[in-house]
Formats: sequence, C-alpha cells, structure tokens
Amino acid sequence: MSQRTFEAVMSAHHGEIYRYLRRVIGGSGDADDLSQETFLRAYRAYGSLPIDANVRAWLFSIATNLAKNHFRSEIRRSRAYGEVRASMRETVDPAPLAEVVSRETGALVDGIVRRLPLKQRLAFTQRKIHGLDYEAIGRSLGCSAESARAHVFQALRKIRQGLDGHGLLPKEPQR
Amino acid sequence: MSNKPAVCVQIEDDLLATAMGEAVPSAARRVERHLATCGSCRREFQEYHTVDSVVTTLREEPLPSGSLAQAREHLEARLADLRSRLLVYRIFPSPLGHILIARSELGISLVEYLERGTSLRASRLRHEPGVELVEDRGELEAVYQDLLEYLDGRRKRLEWPLDLRLARSDFHRTVLQATAALPYGAVIPYAGIAQEVGKASASRAVAQALRWNPLPIVIPCHRVIGTSGALTGYAGRKVGLKQRLLSLEGVPTTKRAGVLGITPQAMYILYPGEREYCLPTCPSFDTHPPAPLTRFASREHAEAAGLSPCTTCRPDLHPISH
Repeated sequence: MSQRTFEAVMSAHHGEIYRYLRRVIGGSGDADDLSQETFLRAYRAYGSLPIDANVRAWLFSIATNLAKNHFRSEIRRSRAYGEVRASMRETVDPAPLAEVVSRETGALVDGIVRRLPLKQRLAFTQRKIHGLDYEAIGRSLGCSAESARAHVFQALRKIRQGLDGHGLLPKEPQR
Repeated sequence: MSNKPAVCVQIEDDLLATAMGEAVPSAARRVERHLATCGSCRREFQEYHTVDSVVTTLREEPLPSGSLAQAREHLEARLADLRSRLLVYRIFPSPLGHILIARSELGISLVEYLERGTSLRASRLRHEPGVELVEDRGELEAVYQDLLEYLDGRRKRLEWPLDLRLARSDFHRTVLQATAALPYGAVIPYAGIAQEVGKASASRAVAQALRWNPLPIVIPCHRVIGTSGALTGYAGRKVGLKQRLLSLEGVPTTKRAGVLGITPQAMYILYPGEREYCLPTCPSFDTHPPAPLTRFASREHAEAAGLSPCTTCRPDLHPISH
C-alpha cells in the first residue's frame, strides 16, 4: 500500500471523522480512541478498497460501526451495574428549566441530540452536520436510504419538540 | 395521540423535507399551497427553519483548542506502530510446492515453503509475536511473477527490498546478509560464511542461522553446503529442493553412498580473497594453506561475479569439459 496515499486520506478526513465521533460519542477521550481505531482499520483494509470507492463514506461507515459497538459495550457495562443510561432512552427528556435558561440554544440542541436513540443520532449527525447522502448513511447503519431519512426526520422532530418545550422557537407574527 | 387534522399529518414529511431544502419540486409546491391556508403548519415550518439554522451553527462549532492536533498525534503514533508490525501475505502455488510470501513496509520479510497445508495455519507467522497479518489483494503479484521467472530459469536475480526482522538474532541477520551476497551459480561451505562474518569456528551456528532463514531462494542459503561437498540440510529436511535450486543454476550434483553432493571436479574454484578463478587442478593451490573455497558452476557464472580467469591454470584456455 502506498504510504503517501494513506497519508493523504488521513489529512483529508481525520478532522471530520474526529468531529463526527466527538459529536456522537460525547467524551473527547473515547472519540480520540475511536477515531484512531477508524483509521487503523481503514489502513488494514485500504489495499482491498476498490479504486472508485467513496473513501469518505467508507470512513464514516467504519466510524459508525465502531460507535455502535462502543454504545453496545456501554449498555452492557451499565446493565452490569444496574444502571440505565438516560441518553439511550427513546423519549427526549428536557433538561431542568434553570439549566436551559443559562445555556445557548445550540448547546440545548446538542443536548437533545445526545439523548436521541443511537440510530437517529448517527443518522442526524451524518446528514445535518456532515452532509452525507442518505444512501451512504443507510449503508453505514445497515438500513435503506429511506430508513436513514426517516431516522433523520425523527431526530429533527424531536429537536423541534425539545426547543418548543422550552419556548425557544419563534412564534408566528400576528397578522 | 396527535390531534392534527388528517391533511396536516399527511403533508408532515413533505413539510419537513421542504423546510430542510430536500423536497422534490412537486412536494415543495404542495407544501406551499398548504401553508397558505394552514396557520399551525406555517408555524411548524418556521420552527423547522429555526432548527435548521441552529444546526448550521453546530456544524461550524469550533473544537476545543489543540484537541484535533492531539488526536492526530495519537493516531500517527499508533499508525506508525501498526505499520511496523503489519505483514501483507499471500500463499501461492509454485513448482516447489505452496509458498507463502509476506511483505512489510520495509520489504519482503518471509518466503516460506508450506509443508503442512495451504493455509496460514501451516505458517510460522502464526507463532510470530506482535505481527499483524493482512491478506494481500494484489500487491504481491509482481513479486510472485519474479519468483516464477526465477524458478523456471528466466531470471537470475530477485532484486526485492528485504526486511530481515524475522531473523532470530543479530548474528542470524549478519549470516543472512553475507549469504545474500553469494553469486548465482556458486556454492560455498558453511565454514566460508563463518569466516566471512568473522567467526571462523562458528560453522554450526551458521548452519542454524540458515536453517531459520526467513527468506529462502532470495537469500540463497541453498548455495551453502558442507565442507565435504555434501548438500547437507535445507529448510529442515528439504535437501531435494536444494538440489533442484542448484541444478537450476547449473551446479552439478551427484549422489554418492546415498548422500547428495556437488561434483567438485566439475566446478571452477575461487580461493578466499582472490579475484581470479581457477581450475580445480590449479598448481597455485599447492602453495596456499587450506581454506573454504567458493566453487562456480561455469566460467560465465564466475565472470558474471566480476572474476577473471587465473593466469597460471588458464581456465579460459582449458575449460572444464562437462
């Protein structure tokens, strides 16, 4: 494998993959570890990647699989200690009002995204933050492009509900 | 349960898609018509716009200072470690049986005759600590073709970059480096290599180093033989392969009393340190002390190694008749 070529792949995509993992995982340490793992796996398999492959989508797919595995083992760990992570619940729990008031809307959205079910969070982040198409998102999540789109839309609905619940959305002007 | 009118529920997905700029034109027109008559959907549409603009700010959110550079640094370190341990391998059929070839980032690191099967399970790589293996998808094809050309006599040199890290010790590496310099069509006793590496009495240790040669054929340990001219061992008990490789180079071999050996009287001789090759009957040897001799299968091979004919015995005028 050409070392120089892989260097170019790293230079082009490491920042983006790291940001993606930080957003979906949360902790910077875990995101650091998983972004390393993403590129180590990519390095091992790079020689067998077809020449016309979409390297960016492929890297997102590796990172997404690692993120899913990470959460699976997190859940196992939590269960072992008899805990249920609030972040994995299906419903969006608004943060306490006092906390909300002191935070920016962006941070609130961030919080809502972190509490989304995993597939919605991954699909939303890939689509709305990194601009991947639904085909690529579907491949990384192991579902169809339509399902990937449904996950993104569901996430947007929940974000809207979450912001609305705190009165942070503009009201329609009176005519 | 939602108390939205049915028409609003039906258009919900299109409304969201339109707000996000992803709707097809016909859906966007349908939404536009609906919004003109429905206040609550208009509000919802604006809210999605707001959500979209908030999400845009997230996209541009800066990372904590230095975190990306630090993550990149960690990645570079782990990748450097992986590169140093990663071997790309493939198992090929050959006239000498199945052969595994492996390469690292530095060069070819293993050429292995597989005795007990045609899979990685039969390879010594399974027992190499710290090595990570990836099956080749084409990188080794050119190397394999070179090897096939060598084995059918169309090629005399395998000019591959080599990685000797699979050698078992520094001494083994030194022995392998000395052996790598042996010319095509020549043989030398173990004692000759021992002398070459500055340990004249270490013939047995040299034989052990060559027994574990990770790069047979390309590091031509088949050109190293016993002082008596017997082929002795090769990669364990594969002395038949040694004979085949030597025959390919034109080295004459015979079996005497059940032992395979070279035919010394049919080969030209080089005394250590000399630059002239001789006939085996050269009178100048009478005055030289005994020493491990290099023998050449032909004058062409000796001259290809940069040697000239002896001016005393004149092998150029009286070549050995085969």
